[in-house]
This record gives sequence, structure tokens and C-alpha cells, in this order.
Amino acid sequence: MIDQGYFLTNVFLLVVGTILIRGCFIAVSHRVNISPKLRELFTYIPAAIFPALVMPAAFFHHGRVEALAGKERFLILLFMALICYFKRNTLFIIGLGLGLLYLANFLGQA
Amino acid sequence: MEQFKLGFRSIIPIISGIVPFGAVMGSAFAEAKLEFWQAMLMNVTVYAGAAQLATTDLMKLNAAILVVVTTGLIINLRFLLYSAAMSPYLKTASPFIKFICAFTLTDQSYAAMTANVDSFKSNEEATQFYLGTAVSMGLAWHASVIAGFVFGNFAPASLSLDFAIPLSFVALLIPTLKTSKHKAIALLSSILSLLFYSLPMKTGLIVTALISIGAAWALIQPKQGA
Repeated sequence: MIDQGYFLTNVFLLVVGTILIRGCFIAVSHRVNISPKLRELFTYIPAAIFPALVMPAAFFHHGRVEALAGKERFLILLFMALICYFKRNTLFIIGLGLGLLYLANFLGQA
Repeated sequence: MEQFKLGFRSIIPIISGIVPFGAVMGSAFAEAKLEFWQAMLMNVTVYAGAAQLATTDLMKLNAAILVVVTTGLIINLRFLLYSAAMSPYLKTASPFIKFICAFTLTDQSYAAMTANVDSFKSNEEATQFYLGTAVSMGLAWHASVIAGFVFGNFAPASLSLDFAIPLSFVALLIPTLKTSKHKAIALLSSILSLLFYSLPMKTGLIVTALISIGAAWALIQPKQGA
């Protein structure tokens, strides 16, 4: 059981800190002129962050398919990244990726 | 309004990735023996899944407040970059809209926004699109957290639905890799994230992001003598 005062203090500090992080640039956006160079840099933010969000979870996951050294998630993710260049449909990518993982697990257990 | 609807719809395909994560979050709240109102208070006000998951776990262990808050805020530091990237679109927005956009800034909403950024004719259209993603994302997230709290982690393990999260980010990332430089930064970030994975307090993510952004900055500088 988490003490209520302890919980509320943590949540309060997390809320204040998170809103400051999320809002600091947005709050002053009308006062700051963003140079074209900086705007160009912003286009790199997805490339800098999204791979770091997903790669460790896929790579360090210990799967069940021994033939793929338990790295079926990592391999399927790489394969789906390639497929994305030809078929840019989010639902298709998720559906096919999950289907391949299900199939890999099924065949790996057989 | 058209852009709002497009934004709302853009999240629907990735809901399959949001729901399992929300269910895990809801069941983690229940396992930590939080009251329903406590879980919802944290979920609505902090509104950052990864940070909530890590800090709930730390609170369960009765970790020092400094450790809990620092861990949560370090995980959330990536929002600083999203905030900077969103700011040009919100230049002329009212303070209320700015607050709503900042408060609802998530990986998924930002990703959906960047994947569609070429289709906006004005900042107003971009803002409307973003608000659509935020409403859609909020509904999916809060509903799945409530369901996870009430029913436990209901997603069948055999379906591996948690894998929909990385898949959805891949699907949203690829359209933003428009040049070979963008692809190089994505590759660098992938490699660095694996190298820095074991850094404490999940700082690997932000270290990777900062180094990758630094590399991007170096890449976009004009070549000497050019």
C-alpha cells in the first residue's frame, strides 16, 4: 500500500515537471523566431528518438523461436521497416507484423 | 474541422499498440494497490505511460521522492524536443490551445503529426490535426488504462499485442526519413540506443536522442569551402 501523502507529493512534482518540459517551448513560441536551420533540425527529431524508443525493446526481448536465436521481434521489426518503404499503411504494417510474429511463435513451438 | 477529423482518424490504426500498453499500465496501478481515483489522478495529470509505469514501480518499493521524480522526468525529457518541434505551428495559437497541446503531447500524437506534416497548408491546419490526434489518443489511452485497472491485463499473451507499439512507431517513422541524412540519423539512433540501453534510470533514451540530434546538427551545417 502506497502512503497517500507520499503518492500525492510524487504525482504533484511529476505533473509540474512534465508540464514544464512539455510546455516550455510551446509557451514562448510567439516570442521566439525559429530560424530555418533550427526548423530543419526539428525534422530530425523523429529519426533521433523513435528508433531509440523501439529498438532496445525489440533487440533485448528474449523470444521463443530458437532457430532465430530468440530475436524474432527484432528481425520482424527490421523486415517491417523495409516493407514500410513500399506500403505506407500503418494498419497494414501493424497487422502484418503481428501476424508474422504469431506465425514465428507458432512455427517455433511446433 | 476536416484536419481535426484527419488527425483523429490517424491514431485509429495505432490503437492496437496503445491498448495493450494502457492495459499494462492499468493493471500496474491495481497491483500497486492504488485506489481508482489515485490511478486516474496520476493517469490524467501526468499522462505519460512510460514514466508512470517506472514511477509506480518505484513508489511501490517506497523509493525516495527525489529518485521517483527524477526518474519520471528523465524519461519525459524527450517531450522537450517534441515541444520545440511543435512550437512553430503554435506560434499564433491562443494560450488555452497552447496549454492543451502541451498537456496532451505524447509520442504517438507527435509521431502522427510529423508523418503528415507535408499535408498542412497553414499552422491552423497543423494545430487542428494535432488536436484531433490528441483527443483520439486520450480516449484510447484512458479507456484502456481503466479497463486494465478493472479487468487486469486482458490482452492475451499469445497474440503479443505489445509488439504493436514498436510496429506503430516504425510505420510512423519511415515517412519522416525523407533524405539519406535522416536515414543515417535513424541508424545512428538505433545503434546508440542498444549501446546505451543499460544506463541507469533509463537515461539511455535521452543520451541517444541528444547525441543523435547533435549529429544531425553537424550534418546540416554547410560544408566548408562550399
